[in-house]
Amino acid sequence: MRKISLLCALLLTGWCTLLAQSRQISGRVTNEKDEPLPGSSVRAKGSSSGTVTDSTGMFRLMVDDKIKTLVISSLGYGEKEIALNSQDFFAVKLLQQDAGLDEVVVVGYQQIARVNLTGSVAKVGGKEIANRPVMSFDQALTGKAAGVQVNTSSGLVGDNVIIRVRGAASISSGSQPLIIIDGVPITQGNDGQLYNPVNTLADINPNDIESVEVLKDASAAAIYGSRASAGVILISTRKGQAGAARITYDGYVGVNTASRRLTVLNGDQYNTVINKMRAAAGQTPAAAYADFNGDGTIDPVSTDWQDEVYRNGLTQSHQVGISGGTAKTTFYASAAYNDFQNYIIVNRQKRMSGRINLTTKATNWLETGMTMQYSQTTSYGLGSGTGGGLSGVPFGPLTAYPNIPVYAANGGYYLGAGGNTVFNNTPNPVAVQNLNYDTRQTQRLIGSLYGEARLFKGLKFKSQFNVDQLFGNTDQYWDKLVGDGSGLAGLAQTVNNRTYVWSWTNTLNYIAKFGDHDINVLAGSEYTRRRGYGAYAFGTTIFDSLFRQIDAANFASVGAQNYNTVNNGLASYFGGINYSFKRKYIATINVRGDAYSGFGRDNRWGYFPSAALAWRISQEGFMQSVSAISDMKLRASYGLTGNSNIGDFPSLATFAPTQYADIPSLNLSNPGNSSLRWEKTGQFDIGIDMTVGKNIQIVLDYYNKKSKDLILANPVLATLGFPGNSIIENVGQLSNSGFEIGINMPVISKKDFNWDINFNGAWNRSKVISTNSNNGDIFGGNSIVRPGYNMSAFFLIRWAGVNPSNGLPMFYDKDGVRKQYDHLQPAASRWTKVDDGSVTTAITAADRVVHNDKTPYPKFLGGLTQNLRYKQFDLSIDLQYSLGAYLYNNTLQNLMVTTTSRNKSDELLNEWSKPGDQTDVPRLVWGDNQWWQTSTRWLEKADFVRIRNLQLGYSLPAHLLSKISISRLRIYVQAQNLYTFTGYKGMDPEANANGNVNIGLGIDSFRPYLPRTITAGVNVGF
Amino acid sequence: MKKIFYSLAVLVVLTGTACQKKVTDDVVPNDRLSNDLAFSSAQKIENAVLGAYNALQNAGFLSGRALLYVDLQGEDVFDKGVFFGDAARFNMLSNNGIPAAVWTAGYDAIVTSNRVAEGIAANASLLTTQKATELTAECRFVRAVSNFYLVNFFAQPYVFTADASHKGIPIITKSFSSSSPEANQPRSTVKQVYDLIISDLTQAIRDLPQAYASTYATKTRATRAAAASLLARVHLYRADYTGARDAAKRVIDGEFGTYALRPAPNGAFGPGNYQTTETVWSIPNNVNDNPNTNAALPQHYAGNGRADLAVSRSFTNAATNTYFAADDRRRTQMLAAGPAPNTAFTFTTKYPDVATRADWAPVIRYAEVLLTYAEAAAQAATVVDADAVTKLNLVRDRARVSAPAYTVATFPTKAALVAAILGERRIELAFEGHRLWDIMRVKGTVQNKYDNDGVSLLPAQAFGANKSIWPIPQAEVDKSGGVLEQNPGY
Repeated sequence: MRKISLLCALLLTGWCTLLAQSRQISGRVTNEKDEPLPGSSVRAKGSSSGTVTDSTGMFRLMVDDKIKTLVISSLGYGEKEIALNSQDFFAVKLLQQDAGLDEVVVVGYQQIARVNLTGSVAKVGGKEIANRPVMSFDQALTGKAAGVQVNTSSGLVGDNVIIRVRGAASISSGSQPLIIIDGVPITQGNDGQLYNPVNTLADINPNDIESVEVLKDASAAAIYGSRASAGVILISTRKGQAGAARITYDGYVGVNTASRRLTVLNGDQYNTVINKMRAAAGQTPAAAYADFNGDGTIDPVSTDWQDEVYRNGLTQSHQVGISGGTAKTTFYASAAYNDFQNYIIVNRQKRMSGRINLTTKATNWLETGMTMQYSQTTSYGLGSGTGGGLSGVPFGPLTAYPNIPVYAANGGYYLGAGGNTVFNNTPNPVAVQNLNYDTRQTQRLIGSLYGEARLFKGLKFKSQFNVDQLFGNTDQYWDKLVGDGSGLAGLAQTVNNRTYVWSWTNTLNYIAKFGDHDINVLAGSEYTRRRGYGAYAFGTTIFDSLFRQIDAANFASVGAQNYNTVNNGLASYFGGINYSFKRKYIATINVRGDAYSGFGRDNRWGYFPSAALAWRISQEGFMQSVSAISDMKLRASYGLTGNSNIGDFPSLATFAPTQYADIPSLNLSNPGNSSLRWEKTGQFDIGIDMTVGKNIQIVLDYYNKKSKDLILANPVLATLGFPGNSIIENVGQLSNSGFEIGINMPVISKKDFNWDINFNGAWNRSKVISTNSNNGDIFGGNSIVRPGYNMSAFFLIRWAGVNPSNGLPMFYDKDGVRKQYDHLQPAASRWTKVDDGSVTTAITAADRVVHNDKTPYPKFLGGLTQNLRYKQFDLSIDLQYSLGAYLYNNTLQNLMVTTTSRNKSDELLNEWSKPGDQTDVPRLVWGDNQWWQTSTRWLEKADFVRIRNLQLGYSLPAHLLSKISISRLRIYVQAQNLYTFTGYKGMDPEANANGNVNIGLGIDSFRPYLPRTITAGVNVGF
Repeated sequence: MKKIFYSLAVLVVLTGTACQKKVTDDVVPNDRLSNDLAFSSAQKIENAVLGAYNALQNAGFLSGRALLYVDLQGEDVFDKGVFFGDAARFNMLSNNGIPAAVWTAGYDAIVTSNRVAEGIAANASLLTTQKATELTAECRFVRAVSNFYLVNFFAQPYVFTADASHKGIPIITKSFSSSSPEANQPRSTVKQVYDLIISDLTQAIRDLPQAYASTYATKTRATRAAAASLLARVHLYRADYTGARDAAKRVIDGEFGTYALRPAPNGAFGPGNYQTTETVWSIPNNVNDNPNTNAALPQHYAGNGRADLAVSRSFTNAATNTYFAADDRRRTQMLAAGPAPNTAFTFTTKYPDVATRADWAPVIRYAEVLLTYAEAAAQAATVVDADAVTKLNLVRDRARVSAPAYTVATFPTKAALVAAILGERRIELAFEGHRLWDIMRVKGTVQNKYDNDGVSLLPAQAFGANKSIWPIPQAEVDKSGGVLEQNPGY
């Protein structure tokens, strides 16, 4: 009832306004540089009339004669009141506010003025992400925020992008930050169902992103409780602003090439190297050319398989956006098409997406809105798999015989071995890529609906329902002609799977100001359910290769299976208070309780509190005299966060149906662990935010994170008989400490010339405090997790070089004694001591040592972005750097084996040949498997500086544009991954073969090079 | 306004409570069974017993690979496909994946059989006494099989020391529900492992059924004949010839059912032939449940499969395979050149089912029982044993139709008869997982072994050489914190 009377009152005032005498005024709102400020609000003080400026900053308004003052405001520019005199036209200049003072930051379930923030939050603007030729937006975050490591595993479409906020939070795989788009927690990670990884973040259109915020410390992240140990990434997509509709077009076209090339032996070199090492072992030659065209003579050919499998891939992107609105309703809509043809033949990703974001003030107490993106992404993967598989890329092109042709004389693929007598099991790389496929198409809907009611002054209730639905179809085929398909006489597989996540969030938020006291109180609940299923079918032994539909009529055998992908739920309750006194002393307290379905009933609930204090020291009297510092805030926080990324039913001991050929059987599927507890991370953070001089912003943070009750799929003894030799356990404690710095500095700020530098850097150290695993050590790949040592330190036999006097490979045993290996001796006397030549015991795994300073985690990393503008030209340079990490070069190791006839690295040409030769390649003997065994020979520094993005643009001047009714037209060229400065010899200094793990990181093993993309584009605004 | 607020609050609390249950307590798996239900009915218990066989049927273990490895390290095949790397050259490193896969699968089968036996004991009320006894005996059989293969891969042969006191493998006789230190056992001696195998097989012979309701089950589940046949092999490996002879004789005499050779030497191989009288015990595969393209026997062995393993000239040449005559039907009918591009190589045709990869793994075939009997009887006798000659002829004559049968007079000495039996065994059981161990148990040297090109000879591997046995998987040594002792040379 009260509502209705309120409504009447509103109507009446509106009526009265019309009756009063009024006149029309107009004006233009600009910034200090005379640039128009579209969407600025213009209000007649003391009345309800108001409007917003159009795209040229112009406004028109009818005002009552009694109105004496106009209030004009624009986001980021504060508010200005101007007195209404008899003028009809008002030119209003708004001053840009001290950076950040009124800026609003989205933290958790509420927005907080940046001044009142007590946590460590890094923000990346949408323009840093938009229009970059990347496969997914996460790649564009590389080097953009202090302490946020973004590692793109390889240049393969859809490959894992590993994000680590402040180091590894865990030793299990759950170290990816929680990602939330407009309040919707989204499915992330790899959703590839067969042979190719598929990054689910590629479904999101990067051009729709307004800003990305990374919550790093416990004060900021603890409101997300159990999912926040690894940090939280909040993404806000673009919203409309009141005013005339703005239409934009952004597009680019460009070309992809491989950013690096490893070099392998050519035909002649191959024949020489192979036959020489065969001869050294007293064996017959194995490599030779053959007569390929049937003319009776030998045909020397040299095939560079990398040339054959790589290409100039076309990449393009087009997006049309429209936004605008009225004072009550605003909208943003976009339609986009993005096509990324990789430099590897057949490898490609296409995305079509559409978005609508809508906000409407239904009444003066109710606001409703929605955000929705629908996209379709098609990933054309490598049909025979990726990486180190025999048919994979880059394994295939690097290891196939170089002394055979691509095509046979009859025009078909050449599938023979030429004149070679030792079988090289790498199938024709061009044939397997062209004949086979692994194509995945996903349809994704991410959306939310919300209503926010103002219950009384300062108190708002908001209810938001979120969905993230992902439907995927994988269609895979292996031709029977060559490669993996030949053994199966042809294979077709399909997978249809879906992942459905819903969540429902309810919050009560009370914001009030009493004199000097600002308070912001939050309470809420959230329920999340994730469910995923798949249906799989296959057919082998295809009768007619033209029919690919899986059907018993065309395949000798067909089969099908259903399976679960994800099945869990989370119930959460949370609350928090942010209190500020005189905007000088600020305190925040948050707490969250989470119940995760995957834990046993007794250990289901976890509680995650945090507290923080901040002091805006620059507001104190004694600081007023320090003119060099215009703003300064000290922050300190401590809190607990958790990690629920542990699978669906880790605690439940279960049996699953199996088959003993025709007979059904039942086997243990999970040993279970009913005492499994929440993994918790306590994080202390102390930081300073300050503005030096007029506008140099500096953010410094020190943090110390301690994770305890680490949950790990603990690799345990096989004699326990657990599937996969692992059991999920709470295994120990880990600490991460580090220091972060961010500097944003306008170097030159003139009318015609601007130069801004944005620098960030982070030091981090991850240390293992304790484990309760077997004997304290946890092993993974070539790394070890050992209490007292750095996280995931390499654990390897030590290479001691090549003995210059005899060309033998040398290693240190565990006591530092040098031993050399001579494969030509009888088995019992192959190992001798270097010092005295006496026969000794073999170098074995017992001689591995921990290389504590050598871990896959960089010691110092970050980025440097520079933006320059000269008149109408703009230039931006993004550098990414990483120092102190080590990488195990398994790729090179495999390219230097002396036991197979696969093609090899041309580094073998550096072979020791006579006494006195200083080299790291020993005398080569066919059959020697010791010299290239796993050792520090293959451990390399992975320091690098990468020119991640270089962009040069030109904006047409406004006076030209106004003639063609265009508000903005910019043309540009850009280069992504332009060049990498590094001494690293493998695929890439960021290469990562093991996906999203923490212990096995740092292995470079045949993942494709990153692409280098050069594009030309245009941004148009109407 | 207040009313709206309060009703909203009530609504949120009510739906919230429902939601909380929906996202926590209501989340249960539909593709697996909680532990406490696994042994809750007679059928589930029997399925769990079959799960122990399923553990043996692992793609890296007894569905084919375990048999293949024994031949891979012998001289009768060579790794043409360069598929098995160092394993084919007595040159593995301790982190090689093959031993790790075999060790893991073997202990999985052992612990599974222990777990199921414990489950049977704890839920005996759901079963008849006889059924419980039979099912337990099946578990013991599975454990014995697994221990037998593991101890021979990872330890020197029984005869390496006089009392078999050298290092064997850890003995695990129970199951675990958590990461228990009890699973971290040091290696027992080879004798202790064999003693356990013998005791398990003895119990199995006593308690197992002779046959199951279907022939399929009789050929793929443990039977008294299977247990006795394996026991015969175990005794043969121990050089306990009377033990081997007596166990084999019980099978040959039909005490456990009728077993006989088929008329043709290839009569037990290929689709349609798996469930015949010649099969004593096999691990079955079918089109849906097999070791796939990278591990199935037909893929590795058949000329039209992956064709990784070609038959070596050591096997085909009479100079190095003395008893393999030119007209032997096992040469003329069971070896063949491959299709292009493998026309220059010879392959066995014992595993022809490339298309569906469903060839069964012939773990125990009646021909082996006859040859084991013949060898054991010949060795146990002081003179040339007539019955040994008879049994040898049973195997030889079906392949040598045109050659006269052996008589006692053919053999001047007992040693000549034993040599002929061993020669026959090499030919008859080739590519079925016997060769390396048949050399090692008689303290022989592996010689005339070819590298990947089929032309270059590898160094001879003397009896007792460090690398004729496998490394304990380095990951296991690491995880044991030194409790598991590595084999010398690794």
